[in-house]
Amino acid sequence: MAPTVSPFLDPSTHASVNSLGVLQLKRDHLIPAVLSDSASSDYAEGNVVNTRFGSFTHSSLINKPWGTQILASVVDTGSRSGRSKKRKREANGDADAAGEVGAGAEETAKSVLKAATASSGFAHLVPPTPETWTLCLPHRTQVVYTPDYSFIIQKTRLRPGDHIVEAGAGSGSFTHAVARTVFNGSPGSEGNEEEQPEANGTTTRKRKRRQKRYGHVYSFEYHKPRAEQLREEIISHGLDPMVTITNRDVYADGFCLDDDDAPNADVIFLDLPAPWLALKHLTRSPPPPAVVKSVASDPSTPNAEASSSTLQPAPAAKPFRSPLNPKSTARICTFSPCIEQVQKTVAAMRSYGWLDIEMYTMEHKRLGVRRERIGLAEEGLRGANPSPATVQEAVQRLRDVEDRAKVFHGLQKEKQEQVMRRAEAKKRGEKVSARHDEEKEKEEKKKKLEGLPPSKHDRLERAKKESVKRPLFKEGRLVCRTESEIKTHTSYLVFAVLPVEWTTEDEAKARKKWG
Amino acid sequence: MHSHVRPNAHIALRLPSGVLKLVEATPNTNINLGKFGTFNTNQIIGRPYRLTYEFLEQEDPKAQPELRVVPASELHAIALGSDHATPQESRDDDAATEGGVAFDIVGDNGEVIMRNNRLTVDDPSRQTLSMDEIEELKKAGSGSGKDIIEKIMASHLGIEEKTQYSLAKYTLRKSRKYLKRFTVLPLDIPLLTEYVTDKEAYRIMELRDESLGLICSWANIHSGSTSRVLMGEDGTSQIGGGRWLLVDDTGGLVTAALAERMGILYPHEEEDTSDSEGEEEQDAPADTEQENVQNGTTAAAAATTPATTATPDTTAQDTPMPDASLDILGVTAPDATNGTSTETPRQRRQPRPHIPQSSAQTNTLTILHPNNQPNLSHLKYFGFDAGDPKPGHPLYTHLKSLSWLQLLDPTSDPTYIEPELIPEETLATMKSSKRGTYYRKRRRWERTKRVIDETRAGGFDGLVVASSMEPVTILKECVPLVKGGGQVVVYSQNSEPLVQLCDYYSKERRTAFIARQFGPQHNGRTRGNPIDLSEEDELAEEGDEEEDFPVNPTLLLAPSLQTARAREWQVLPERTHPFMTSKGGAEGFLFTATRVLPVEGKVEARGIRGGKKRKISAEVSVEA
Repeated sequence: MAPTVSPFLDPSTHASVNSLGVLQLKRDHLIPAVLSDSASSDYAEGNVVNTRFGSFTHSSLINKPWGTQILASVVDTGSRSGRSKKRKREANGDADAAGEVGAGAEETAKSVLKAATASSGFAHLVPPTPETWTLCLPHRTQVVYTPDYSFIIQKTRLRPGDHIVEAGAGSGSFTHAVARTVFNGSPGSEGNEEEQPEANGTTTRKRKRRQKRYGHVYSFEYHKPRAEQLREEIISHGLDPMVTITNRDVYADGFCLDDDDAPNADVIFLDLPAPWLALKHLTRSPPPPAVVKSVASDPSTPNAEASSSTLQPAPAAKPFRSPLNPKSTARICTFSPCIEQVQKTVAAMRSYGWLDIEMYTMEHKRLGVRRERIGLAEEGLRGANPSPATVQEAVQRLRDVEDRAKVFHGLQKEKQEQVMRRAEAKKRGEKVSARHDEEKEKEEKKKKLEGLPPSKHDRLERAKKESVKRPLFKEGRLVCRTESEIKTHTSYLVFAVLPVEWTTEDEAKARKKWG
Repeated sequence: MHSHVRPNAHIALRLPSGVLKLVEATPNTNINLGKFGTFNTNQIIGRPYRLTYEFLEQEDPKAQPELRVVPASELHAIALGSDHATPQESRDDDAATEGGVAFDIVGDNGEVIMRNNRLTVDDPSRQTLSMDEIEELKKAGSGSGKDIIEKIMASHLGIEEKTQYSLAKYTLRKSRKYLKRFTVLPLDIPLLTEYVTDKEAYRIMELRDESLGLICSWANIHSGSTSRVLMGEDGTSQIGGGRWLLVDDTGGLVTAALAERMGILYPHEEEDTSDSEGEEEQDAPADTEQENVQNGTTAAAAATTPATTATPDTTAQDTPMPDASLDILGVTAPDATNGTSTETPRQRRQPRPHIPQSSAQTNTLTILHPNNQPNLSHLKYFGFDAGDPKPGHPLYTHLKSLSWLQLLDPTSDPTYIEPELIPEETLATMKSSKRGTYYRKRRRWERTKRVIDETRAGGFDGLVVASSMEPVTILKECVPLVKGGGQVVVYSQNSEPLVQLCDYYSKERRTAFIARQFGPQHNGRTRGNPIDLSEEDELAEEGDEEEDFPVNPTLLLAPSLQTARAREWQVLPERTHPFMTSKGGAEGFLFTATRVLPVEGKVEARGIRGGKKRKISAEVSVEA
């Protein structure tokens, strides 16, 4: 049986059953769902993802090509077949809250209804990538976001086939990102392909059957429930062949696994509160006790007592084994939010012989692009600034106001005079045909108002009417600006390298060989 | 990878001043580091990377200079200042009792405990050594340069008055100038980026590490060696397979960065076990020497035909990724044997089967270039010459290139037209040189046709653009070639072209585009679309179509624009702060979006709630 490939690495052409798909509603609003075709949900239509743009049944997502625009379906969300069941699920269902929508376990015999299309909205079905996953993963701890992890991968020269140790797995965003990067196939997946070169007898007589090194992520998490959750996630994402999750306190117990030479790491990423306490385990040869003590005995270090006391018996119990790949330069990155952590980490790195120590902060921002429409024509319209666009427009508006005011004052005056006239006439006992007068007045008023600039009400009406005809999408000035929320500080990134150990014997050997 | 310096590898040397020097580690040659000295490459070949060497003092200036590996503690001592030379750095405690105060603290016995800069005199005359004397010293000194620094420091009148920190800074400055050290670094993408940025940043569109990292992440670049090329809905089109489309005006830097992430950049796997390594390398020098004799110059060795540069490493021809190209082997083998025999007339070696160039099916990069040939000059540092690719290099099969003309109008490209097929019998009677030309032409045509047809069929996993051309014109042609759910990433130094691009994919434009497609009958219901368009109006609008909608705005989802900058900090005890100066220049912007497949017909997005809410949700839904 061919091992199933993770949708993160090779998503195939379609969303398939029991595999992760992501519904993208808005740019930053994505909902992950492991698609299921079982009819075990509370809805007659099978499993459903409910969103503010409507309900999406899993059956409408399964076997759709990635990237398809999916229309919402009409789902009777009111009358579920088992209301009480639903309530019960809510009570104890953390898994549902975590976004794996509708992972109902019970299998029932009823068939899934085909739902009709609703007009409430649509979403796009996109394949999962570490980037989309970072946007929608269930938060457990601080997330390492794309700008940070992309820079870390670049700076640590992480490549396909490398082994990486990650301590403090947290929410798993970094785990996914590096799993993608180190991926270069998995042991079972290309057995037949590997034989081909030999079958074809290509060129090389002296080629040795070399064990290909497959990329692997060794992830350590101190917090047991988090480690468990991440393990489940990794399995449901099909990344388990290349990600090993270990629940362990790395300060005390280090990074070596029970397998022969795992982790054999090329790259180390430490997202820990006290990375300097883990560094003693990341050496090529047993560190001198004095150095270990000096790093750990810093009075301000928390747990210093505990970890140094646990350290002492450890070397005696087990022979030293380095978790680092002896044949490659080890690259490390630590991720700490506070400058004090950085100072201690860097000091410890210097003590343990790490080189090229560099520290960076990442300034990342996203820019919003829009068209800024300014002008009196925008009055009453949404998303525009209705103040005058030019001096000329302002002057014209002032003139108009003045003109209108003048006419109105005139009219008012006239009206007043008329009232006075009438009163006087009444007093004099004269009888005037009021109706005739009024009509005449109206006529006159209308005439006067005709030439006038439009009233505000008219203007709004007109602007609204015209806006429908205007190509608003290309009007106004195109501008871009930083989005309103930016992450001004994520963490300090410390990078360093530890060269391959080089002894005098090695040097003598190399000298003999190369002269 | 990059564990030891291999013979003939491109390496970088960092000098104390921070300057990088790229050299090729050809065995038995000398590398001249100017004032720092000269050494033989054999002194570093076979040793691990990242070691720092120092020239040792020597009695006889004519003798071969000796190198010494500088231990880490010594390297850190310079940066930290003399006090911190020991590997233990817990002196923070001493510093705390001592430092942190800006005044002279005078102890009971009148001893100065802590100095400040109150007494510092800025005067060049305080250095008693004259320029000539220092020059004299430099000439005389043959060693590490430490003696010069010591003398200079000793001759500084004010050295006693310096604060602890300014003394450290002074020493560091002098070390940078006079220490005869260098560090051997592997030539990889971040290093090459740094090197080119210092020299001619414009050639790589001022790309920085952080931009390259973002490009690779957002474009979802990874090894697709086990991916499958799958059939599309229609049963003919191909989808996926770890194939990325690329428009690269950075001289191949972006290509190299992507190739590194796909595992196809470095010529050979360096994962030999230590035993076999020794065995293999034992005969390596002999081979190379022999080769030097054959080819006269060592430099020419690398560029000659594959058969002659058969060092064990290249013969191993170990493309780390198993590629489907080998399937094709069977098919093309007969003419290949003939082909290679003409190619290598000098040596009667076992004819090697011909591996067609650019023939890999998966895990490939396809480059679109504006000229006849792609400019991939930076790939030379990774052992790949685009003009004369060696079959041993993974990029030989995994890199494909075609020009814009070949993509858009293949029939007007002469290489796309099939050369006349000559029957075997006629061929046998031909001169070998003619026969060679015939096969070469045939193969070029096969390659060109394969690449063009494949590219035009589309279904790429993603599109990466770093080009000086107008991005909208590139996306117009390339976005349809990306598979549904594939990523589109465009890099530009400046925001303006990308802002414009975002506008062409804006939600308002998309709404208008859809409205225009579906004509007047639906108009009343969509916001902001032209109503009352009669048939004639619509015809008149056709002319604007191209101008208003140069690209189909419904093909990309969530277009967004971002920029990132990494800021470097100095971390020293009591002296941690961001660096005072760094490089300015282009900010570097990135446009990202996802290729989607819009549904046929009209789509409504009203949201599920009534009233005011409805309006809002209708709008954001379109935005998505």
